[in-house]
Amino acid sequence: MADSIIKQYYDALGKGKLLGKKCKKCGAVTFPPTTACKKCGSNEQEWIELSGKGKLLYLSHGMAPPPNPRFAEIAPYAYGHIKLEEGVFVQAIINGVSIDPDTLKSYYERGPVDVVPDIMEVKGLNVLAFKVM
Amino acid sequence: MGSKLREPVYILGVGCTRFGNLLETPEIMGLSLHELAAQAAQEAMADAQVDPKEIDAVFLGNVTYPTSLLPATYSQVADWLGIQYKAGVHFDAACSTTNVGITMAATGIAAGVYDKVLVVGLESTLSQPKYLSPYERTTIPTEEMWLWTDHCVGQAYSVPQGYDIFPTYNGINALGYCRKYGISLDELEHGLFELCRTRRLHGSLNSKAIRQETLEQEAKRMGFDDPWEFWNSRFNPHVAWPSRLYSVVTPADGASAIVVGRREGASVSQPVELKGFGISVMDLPWYGDDPTVMPIDTHSFKKAYDMANITAKDIDYLHVHDCSHIMSICVAEESGYLPKGQGLKFAEEGRLRFDGDKPMSTHGGRHAFGHAWAASAGSDTYEAVKQIRGMADARQIKPFPKTAVIHTHGYAMISTVLVLNGGN
Repeated sequence: MADSIIKQYYDALGKGKLLGKKCKKCGAVTFPPTTACKKCGSNEQEWIELSGKGKLLYLSHGMAPPPNPRFAEIAPYAYGHIKLEEGVFVQAIINGVSIDPDTLKSYYERGPVDVVPDIMEVKGLNVLAFKVM
Repeated sequence: MGSKLREPVYILGVGCTRFGNLLETPEIMGLSLHELAAQAAQEAMADAQVDPKEIDAVFLGNVTYPTSLLPATYSQVADWLGIQYKAGVHFDAACSTTNVGITMAATGIAAGVYDKVLVVGLESTLSQPKYLSPYERTTIPTEEMWLWTDHCVGQAYSVPQGYDIFPTYNGINALGYCRKYGISLDELEHGLFELCRTRRLHGSLNSKAIRQETLEQEAKRMGFDDPWEFWNSRFNPHVAWPSRLYSVVTPADGASAIVVGRREGASVSQPVELKGFGISVMDLPWYGDDPTVMPIDTHSFKKAYDMANITAKDIDYLHVHDCSHIMSICVAEESGYLPKGQGLKFAEEGRLRFDGDKPMSTHGGRHAFGHAWAASAGSDTYEAVKQIRGMADARQIKPFPKTAVIHTHGYAMISTVLVLNGGN
């Protein structure tokens, strides 16, 4: 059986790890991992573990019921745009934040805040979410 | 990449159904998708004065298979169009489908393979076949429609981990726009209100739009003398703060069709030339530090302008994908049609109306005209061609535009730009 990059990513989340790929040619980090470097297109990459630390740049929320029924019990949820310290961007559920306009406005006015992974198991799948430090 | 069409290619005819709901909108109520496609295609062929037997190839597109049950659309619909034994293919570029089809047709024509190609996009986003019936349909829940639509995007990582289009393509972009240009959230709210008023005005002037009530008329009907009060009411909730329901897409059912061909041998008196196009694709995330700019748009506009040998100053009419009103402003600014950071101000001043100096989305856009995924790009081209010909009725831009640029975001994300030129 071949090793699926996608499965390895989700399995690693279950162990609290964020796996990506680092290009052997240009050094760029591709996260989440794929079969080609997002910057130069090379398929010569190696696995790396990302720190998971990042800045939450913008915070909004999703709809309820959600498009993906996996999240029916937690929707509507806060959803944010994050820059990880390795320089890559990711969008994810932000746990522990109310989605009322006043709260979301306060985050906007505050500007970027530090976040760390808060990995959840949602109906059998390990999901990368974040929480504010 | 050659980036040039070796032979001139023209839009010879356009067709578009009313966008609405197959279960309740009179003009399309009760139709199957076969009949919906035929309605648009026959209008386009009549407009082009082309007999079905003159068509060399048919490219038909549809996105959400569960609502159509047409995974091989061309072979299922060809008989309904009077076009058999010709080349054809089912294809999908999501909400850019029809216009990507035009570029596929153009390359075949410019290469000398085809003389005339029919491009069709069709979609139902509001209903699906009932118990696999060939003619009965039943409503689908909104979230289920989005589940199927999201098959177009990020299935490895984004969708399984809670992706939702409304924050990603509305709320976050709106916040980015405010921060980038120092616009207050109150100014954003009022600008989006005025932009909605403009789109709804255009819809009210278009008999094919799904929403033909102005925002003021709807407010009145709902018991509000002041449309601003209605805007801020529970009837217009946040779908992704700070973006509200009336700043986003209105899902619809519909079909559009375009006949693309050579000038030689064409009967139509008002062909519109496809001067250039640009396509650029990427998956999530669509932007980095700056949520107001998707690099794919920068690329697709440049490719299209270069091929057409134009600059943004040459544009008389612009349509950009506007299922998110704030993103439509961001893209219009990235195109060079509007100055950076000024789009909402232009909306406030009425300059984006059909009778303004920077007209946009005169058919009503995705909110007022409606959005029938694979059919919508064709509806934008339909409107641009009608405007260039001076046939846009009460919403006609004057003087008639000569150069029109049409941008669409196909989910996700296929940035497609066409440059059309015509008129006298």
